[in-house]
Amino acid sequence: MKRSLTPGRVGLYAGLILAAAFLLLPFFWMVSSSLKPDNDVFTIPVRWIPEVFRPSNYIDIWTKSDMGIWLKNTLILSVVVTALQLFTGSFAAYGFSRIRFPGRDALFLAYLGTLAVPWQAYMIPQYKMMAKVMPNGGDSLLSIIVLQAFGAFGVFLMKQFYESIPEELSESARIDGLSEYGIYRRIMLPLSVPAIASLGLLTFVNTWNDFLGPRLYLRTRPNFTIQVGLKVFQADATQGSQFGLLFAGSVISVLPIAIIFMLGQRYFVEGIATSGMKG
Amino acid sequence: MKKTSPIALLGVLAMALTMTACGGDGDGTSTSGASSTEATTEAPPTDTATAEETSDVPEETEPAEEPIVLSMSGWSLETTPEFQVLADAFHAANPNVTVELREYDPNDYETLMLADMSSGSATDIITIKQAKFTTQWAEGGQLMDISDIVSGLPANVSGAGSYTVSGVNYGVPYRQDSWVLFYNKDLFDQAGVATPDGTWTWDKYAEVAKELASKLDGVKGTYEHSWQSTLQGFAQAQTPGADLAGGQDYSYLKPYYERVLDLQDSGAQETYANITTNSLTYQANFGKQSAAMMAMGSWYVATLISQQASGDADTFNWGIAPVPQYDESTTGTDKVPVTFGDPTGLAINANIDPAKLDAAKAFLQFAASEEAGVALAGIGILSSVASDAVTEAYFAQSGIPTDDLSKFAIGTHETKPENPQSPYIAAIQSALGEAHTAIMSESSSIDDAIAMATETIQAELG
Amino acid sequence: MSTTALPEGAPAPASQVPKAPSQRKRRSKLRLRNTLMGWSFIAPNFVGFAVITLVPIIALFYYSCTKWGALGDAQWLGLDNFEKLFTRDPRFKTALWNTLYYTALHMPLTLAASLGLAVLLNRKLRGVAFFRTAAFFPYITSIVAIAIVWNLLLSPDYGPVNQILRFLGVDNPPGWTVSATWAMPAIILVGTWREMGYYMLLFLAGLQTIPPELYEAAKLDGAGAVKRFWHVTMPCLRPTTFFVTVMLTIGSMKVFDLVFVMTAGGPGRSTMVISQLIWQQAFVEGDYGYASAIAVVLFFLCLLFTIIQFMVNRRSNK
Repeated sequence: MKRSLTPGRVGLYAGLILAAAFLLLPFFWMVSSSLKPDNDVFTIPVRWIPEVFRPSNYIDIWTKSDMGIWLKNTLILSVVVTALQLFTGSFAAYGFSRIRFPGRDALFLAYLGTLAVPWQAYMIPQYKMMAKVMPNGGDSLLSIIVLQAFGAFGVFLMKQFYESIPEELSESARIDGLSEYGIYRRIMLPLSVPAIASLGLLTFVNTWNDFLGPRLYLRTRPNFTIQVGLKVFQADATQGSQFGLLFAGSVISVLPIAIIFMLGQRYFVEGIATSGMKG
Repeated sequence: MKKTSPIALLGVLAMALTMTACGGDGDGTSTSGASSTEATTEAPPTDTATAEETSDVPEETEPAEEPIVLSMSGWSLETTPEFQVLADAFHAANPNVTVELREYDPNDYETLMLADMSSGSATDIITIKQAKFTTQWAEGGQLMDISDIVSGLPANVSGAGSYTVSGVNYGVPYRQDSWVLFYNKDLFDQAGVATPDGTWTWDKYAEVAKELASKLDGVKGTYEHSWQSTLQGFAQAQTPGADLAGGQDYSYLKPYYERVLDLQDSGAQETYANITTNSLTYQANFGKQSAAMMAMGSWYVATLISQQASGDADTFNWGIAPVPQYDESTTGTDKVPVTFGDPTGLAINANIDPAKLDAAKAFLQFAASEEAGVALAGIGILSSVASDAVTEAYFAQSGIPTDDLSKFAIGTHETKPENPQSPYIAAIQSALGEAHTAIMSESSSIDDAIAMATETIQAELG
Repeated sequence: MSTTALPEGAPAPASQVPKAPSQRKRRSKLRLRNTLMGWSFIAPNFVGFAVITLVPIIALFYYSCTKWGALGDAQWLGLDNFEKLFTRDPRFKTALWNTLYYTALHMPLTLAASLGLAVLLNRKLRGVAFFRTAAFFPYITSIVAIAIVWNLLLSPDYGPVNQILRFLGVDNPPGWTVSATWAMPAIILVGTWREMGYYMLLFLAGLQTIPPELYEAAKLDGAGAVKRFWHVTMPCLRPTTFFVTVMLTIGSMKVFDLVFVMTAGGPGRSTMVISQLIWQQAFVEGDYGYASAIAVVLFFLCLLFTIIQFMVNRRSNK
């Protein structure tokens, strides 16, 4: 397919590039701030290009903190939580969308209802319970995995997606003698690649960037995630925060998810899901 | 693609499970939990909170020389050495007692502490970062009644009243900051304006701020940070008859706000709108000489010294003066200026192992001793103990101004608590905080904002 | 729904099963089988969900009827907390109003923006991966940095936004985050800016389910791009749109982080929202019981909205 450069296309690209710049502005500010000395970060008026460059922030952050360990912890958490969320979420969604049994809708409403309660409203009762049963009084990556892996979000998302897949497909499979598990495994999963991709990406990003949960549970530095770890550079009101290091760390923490997103978004290609439905 | 994805999914899952197993093992077998400054060590020291329940099987009939480990909460341990200094000094005097620190996030300290208390895993010694949380913790049965040691504290220890709830003492103050006026001598000289002499009222201060702003190019006369304290703390401490906890009348705030709004409008100080929307920090404003004066807590002395040494702040001559006063009845170096500030204190966990109680009490008494005060002064922390030895040690820091007025400002003042103990203090401060932002952003008149806050507070008081 | 004969064990609407007495036993057996089958799918998620989330939330309902400071024993109060909430707390009224204000604008705006982005970026375009990533970037950038930068941009005196407005001849541009009138619109805009990439992703996934043949058929019928959007894209996207609408509504009703970092509820209490009030009551003022009561009210509000959305969705599906 060859496209000629029409004025419309030029306009589209100009618009897109402008919009992208607007969307990336805070990231640009973060990069700029990460190259400044602490007391130069906030000035009137704002300086987008540092006056004094301090690239050493990017070296200091590795020596003055446990960035490596924190990145590793965050990666483990994000991968495990995403895998569990994808598996249990899509599995449960099949039960909710394709099998009729008494109490199903009420149960689903209970799932949705919990989404409506802000976490900070029940985090203390939850913490009391978790601190008793989790290793190390809750200060362990396992706590966060358990906390994040069984959310209602994934169930709801996958259920909605399954409902857009024609019922006829599963029925013909049933006639072919496939069990419900087989239908889930051989029909629904392959057809729901875009939904799996979006749920996977969103779960990964949310776990990566989660702050409140890890903050409450992870107390010792070897267990920190990157978001909790970066708080080490943020002082209370009586001391000066190390903004240069803080934003250098923030830049470093954004890059892996940006790359993962770039890789993951290629699953959103027209026809990837529907191609299976023709047969 | 559609065929490989479930397999890929399983692959990820398998990888995930292996990782969980590893992670689980590592976390499960270690009994760590106590924070240590050596964050990278593989096995942090044993958590005393969990050890408390399991390892204290030995009979209590052992001699007193048996080693005792007390756990204590702290925050930002690398930049806040005061906890370690206290722990080390106490250990030197009492070799059988070791105080181990557990690190918390300073900005979520009370929330994390609440979680630990609720699950029964709080430290033996609980540092009270903000005095206003004392009531909640004491009423929740988490703090031990230590009236016996508080009543025995020397008379030169100030601030214990901030931890008294219904006549019972729960905390020993070890640190007492108070608000002072920082000024940049070089900028004053450059403008040809006389530096503070301890006789200032707020009106005089406003006048000087305007004069400085008019004579200095691109420099504000003064900087007042966006906090509620910078205004309400002074108004409440200095105005005769001001009653914060009473909930009846907050009109005493009005003259303070009128003065500041006028300073903002005249350009003598940075506006609240610019400070909040540009996230300005007070360290950068005073340290990079954007303003010639600044009222701030005495904790900034240590920060400014270290930032000047590291180059984060400019190098200039500065001094400390008493904060401006409500009227002339308290001005002049022959009087005692009135300022405000809350202490930082230590409390004992109500559920502490009885075998450790005596050691914990001894540690609290030590923290409020002159010896500890001198040790703290060495690292730029103002002790709750007022004595010549402490002041001398404090002014021995290199980089600190040593003129008489600076010494007077640090050594002589009546410091009223910012948060007097009341079960409603947090709610009152929240409502007044709303009034502060409404007035300072000029989105509400002073009278309307105060009226709204009073209504909210009275609804809370019932 | 399909009319094909159902094999044994398949989900069968009750009405389709013959009601002969001889088959009643079979029907109940089938039902048991379906129930077991259904639960076997749900169980791996449900066990974790029930223990980790459901139990503490049930505890929350209990605490909402008590006086409890998160420490020690809770004291039974009955409905006192709710009585205070609805009759004596001026802050709750403001927070409720602000939350509804935020939801009413943020929800449709974000829905439209994310759908528009998804349609725009669901095509073969050079660099589409980059543009999609750019759209998603606000969601992955640290929220603290976002609050700082947006506050800078909207700063009344020096901010570029007001500089542009002044250049365009607006004499008195808004004070944005330091104005009681404009702070909420500012937060709504930033909220939309931040979340549109997130929901775009969900719409992108939904767009992949639309068979290209439908578009081709519509083209043959002479339908223009606009017509194709309304008659092909929108109907086919309905399950996704429904999901996004429900999630957006709940998310808007629970909004907290963004408000907290951008204005902390100010100036005054012009941007105080329900979740923030919950936080403040629980962790600043130490009244966990009262905070729980507020959360319970929020829960029922969200539930009400969700049920309404389900009903509307069911009707339009018919």
